[in-house]
Amino acid sequence: MTDRKGVSRRRVLQGAGVAAVAGLAGCGGGSGDSGANSIELLHAWSDGDGNAAIEALIGGFQEAHPDVEFAEEPVNGAARSNLDQVVQNRLQSSNPPSTFQTWPGQTLNKFGDAYDDIEGDVWNDDLKNNYLEGPQAQAQLDGTYVTVPLNIHRINNLFYNRNVLDSAGVDPSSMSSPGDVVSACEQVAQNTDAVPFAQQTSGTWSTTQLWETILLSTGGIDGYEAFINGNGNRSDVKAALDSVVALSEHYPSDASSIGLTEANTMVMDGEAAFIHQGDWAAGAYSNADGFNYGEQWGQVTYPGTSGSYLLNMDSFPFLANNPSPEATKTFLSYCGTAEAQVLFNAEKGSIPPRSDADVSQLNQFQQDQYEDFNNADSQPPSVEHGLAVSPGIKTNISSAFSGFLENYDADATADALLNAFN
Amino acid sequence: MSFGTSTDEETETGTGYPLRRVVLYITLVAMGAFYLIPIETGVMTSLTSPGSYTGQFPYLPPLEPLLSGTGEFSLQPWQTAVDLLGQGLVNSVILVVPATILSGLLGSMAAYGLTTVSWRGQIAIYITFVAGIFIPYQAVLVPLTQFWYNVVPLRTAFQPVAYWVPFIQNYHWKLVALIVTHTAYGLPICTLLFRAHYKKLSDEMIEAARLDGASIYRIYRRIILPLSVPMFAVVFIYQFTQIWNDLLFALTIVQFGDASVVTQELVGLGVSQSGTNFPLRMAGALVAALPTLLVYVLFGEKFAKGVAA
Amino acid sequence: MHNPLTILRRRLRGRDARTDGGATEDGESFLSRESVRSAPFWLPPALLIGVFVYGAIGWNVLLSLTDFTGLGTPDYGSLDFENYVVAFQGGTPSWSELTVDPIWNSLQNTVVLVVGFAAVCLVLGLLLAILVDQEIRFENTFRTIYLLPMSLSFVVTAKFWLYMYNPQTGLINIALGAFGFGPVEIVQNPDLKLAAIAFALVWQFSGYAMVVYLAGLRAIPDSHFEAARVDGASTVKMYWRVIIPQLRTATVSALVVLTVFALKAFDFLFSMYGYQPGPSADILATRMVREAYSNGNWAYGSAIAVVLFLMALAIVSPYIYSQYKRGAL
Repeated sequence: MTDRKGVSRRRVLQGAGVAAVAGLAGCGGGSGDSGANSIELLHAWSDGDGNAAIEALIGGFQEAHPDVEFAEEPVNGAARSNLDQVVQNRLQSSNPPSTFQTWPGQTLNKFGDAYDDIEGDVWNDDLKNNYLEGPQAQAQLDGTYVTVPLNIHRINNLFYNRNVLDSAGVDPSSMSSPGDVVSACEQVAQNTDAVPFAQQTSGTWSTTQLWETILLSTGGIDGYEAFINGNGNRSDVKAALDSVVALSEHYPSDASSIGLTEANTMVMDGEAAFIHQGDWAAGAYSNADGFNYGEQWGQVTYPGTSGSYLLNMDSFPFLANNPSPEATKTFLSYCGTAEAQVLFNAEKGSIPPRSDADVSQLNQFQQDQYEDFNNADSQPPSVEHGLAVSPGIKTNISSAFSGFLENYDADATADALLNAFN
Repeated sequence: MSFGTSTDEETETGTGYPLRRVVLYITLVAMGAFYLIPIETGVMTSLTSPGSYTGQFPYLPPLEPLLSGTGEFSLQPWQTAVDLLGQGLVNSVILVVPATILSGLLGSMAAYGLTTVSWRGQIAIYITFVAGIFIPYQAVLVPLTQFWYNVVPLRTAFQPVAYWVPFIQNYHWKLVALIVTHTAYGLPICTLLFRAHYKKLSDEMIEAARLDGASIYRIYRRIILPLSVPMFAVVFIYQFTQIWNDLLFALTIVQFGDASVVTQELVGLGVSQSGTNFPLRMAGALVAALPTLLVYVLFGEKFAKGVAA
Repeated sequence: MHNPLTILRRRLRGRDARTDGGATEDGESFLSRESVRSAPFWLPPALLIGVFVYGAIGWNVLLSLTDFTGLGTPDYGSLDFENYVVAFQGGTPSWSELTVDPIWNSLQNTVVLVVGFAAVCLVLGLLLAILVDQEIRFENTFRTIYLLPMSLSFVVTAKFWLYMYNPQTGLINIALGAFGFGPVEIVQNPDLKLAAIAFALVWQFSGYAMVVYLAGLRAIPDSHFEAARVDGASTVKMYWRVIIPQLRTATVSALVVLTVFALKAFDFLFSMYGYQPGPSADILATRMVREAYSNGNWAYGSAIAVVLFLMALAIVSPYIYSQYKRGAL
């Protein structure tokens, strides 16, 4: 915002600058000073833990590199769809920002040739040696390194309320397959008044991520990878859908009218036993009083998927025709350092992608997740969160699930899912 | 209290009021409740403290600890909402007032030129106006972005204005673009409403004025404009509501930043990945809706009368 | 001697003001034609509409003939109707690797929604208007209450209706329960979804229909009511035979505005379901936005938008034409 209490000299400079700027072709939104050293970063973390995280990251960067100016702009909007629209407009008018918040992996196909290669400048040996195979593959588009992943959320979790499970007589560590989860739900339903599985179905995303988690079990890592490459095995796909159908018997009766928050609150209040979600849900647990990790709530890897860390990431890519190439590369390199990632993830509730980060500042749950991550055999990308399949295919998959939510027909949906790649 | 004319068979109830009237009033009140309940639910939710909000019994007031599950009473969501939405409200007012006045005036002028002054071919022009009412807004978002960001150098042309005129900032160019867009898209319906009104005006009066030698402009200013006041009320109220509540054009043209209007800010209010703050969202929604609600409460009668005139 | 300037002036200004203000005839000069003299009134709005509304539509139509998928600039050199063929038949267009579904499902849902919503809204508005017309006290209060929902934005009403349709605590199900019907799933129920959306929209806009009909009713002279009563007609018959036929103008006027509101159903659906309302509630507008913004198939999205526009016109044109024929347009 223009500082109206500024010194008069600034006004004179502004006046001179206006004439100069008026001569330039219109720039997109952002600060009027479009010096080559000013980074323009667009993101959608306008509230909550995401906002705290990006502020921490930028604060750390400014300390380390005080000479680089920042013009970070939050794009207000639900999810990142508005952000994508803005970036699209900027790209079409050949006025790209320096970088923006996006999912890596197949999502990068959306703006295919808008990115530039940062191997060597940013992806030096230090980064290459310290990123595990999965995230490192996600940072590439068709083999070229274009983006720097910043955080990792796990998808294949199963959170539970300890007290409810104790009342039901269920031991969460004894479950080893999706079928065990269904049996546990039945036990909870029989022995307590709580809702066994707090799922919400007003949007398709929770169901899609639940299904892909179970697919990781029914098909194994090979079956999962076959699916995302378009060669899915129908029986694996259908078995995962059948499991979701079985679980749906144990959803809250108003599942279609509630969102993630209400479902999560049910678990926190002891009215539900299990919830399957990404580990951002644990952020709400940390904020709740008297609801502590290991005491009132716990997490297991979704039964049947041990050894895999199904993940979702955010990243900052490097755009071609960059208005501030050097500064942006400096920033991206900074994001690739362990210190920066710890700063960011401490607020965000996720874990750093680098395997050499010092996670002592993160909370206990994050540290346990980090350990799991580094010991995982495979780090498959999530379908629901855009990493695994291109946007067109992802929309087809979401459409298949929107039909699934209406009729719970596993056969028809299995066909629709396999057809999503055609 | 007599309840007006009673016609055919009356069935007296015990209280002396005819059964028909009782049933009539019961129906009216029931319908009133039907229209008010969702709003009431929002109000109750917005007065709950976010920490104690459970989502059960949304239509009951937050009477914890008297009624468990209803949450604790708190004004905090409203305070937070007003803080966070302040800038958006200002921007919305800057947007709505000129756009409403402009589209109303221009609509009245267009209707006059196409109705009261009659000439051949005007009906064709009028039909193109009417067809413009049915444009789906989603279809024109991309052309609009291209127009305001790539074709028209409004941003650069506006900077001298922002520099020399006090209180006007650089980012206000986006609001100017939005005002022009909303005026253009509101014109078809305004013209339609005014034309319906003007057709009912007596021709003799206009004839007499013409015979007296009054120019077209004079007739408009002296005769038509004063007679249009009821219709202006309707048009203003309608346009005020539509423009205030519009989200799509705001997202497309303003996109983000200091020029965001209140509907844009509502979208992300209280939403983060770890959860949604419903009391805050409801309080925000009600704060954003207050101006339009007030307009309807204060001017609803004029609206209804204007539609009748 | 005739001053050349006077001749010129007379040519330009023409004769004296004509009293009938009619169309130009031979000998009428350009500047004195009514269309030109009134141009300052209708021309600026027409220009605004021409540029912003029709310019945008024109660009849309042009785009729908290209292969544009969001990357780079559209190739206006090769235009074809491929997108429209795919829209109605499905298939794999040349610009995509994946097959694209035709739009019949969305088209059907849109027609059902618009027609159903408009019809129920008009009926409910009429009934309310008849009730309010009965010389009641607190008429202003009731009228204002019925109008209030129209002032709310969809971001607000979507959340309200998620509450209302909640199978456990929602008022709709509580009301059903009072009559003995079990809790009914509404929000993700393929049979009820579209009706539920139409119901929510009717709630929001029937107040407008009521106001229009109330005005129309009040415009009918009391003598009509009296005459019908004297003839011994029952109330229902009186309304049906005598009053309602006279409300045609009001109906058309309300219908036009209601169609506009029906087109805005997109905002409501998007607030409730995001990009994926499900096959039973997918309308052309949500399909268009999904194709353009989620998939990046901009040209295809434009084609769908053109279809939507034409469909809206098609629904309203018969009524507008009939009004035109009666000279009441």
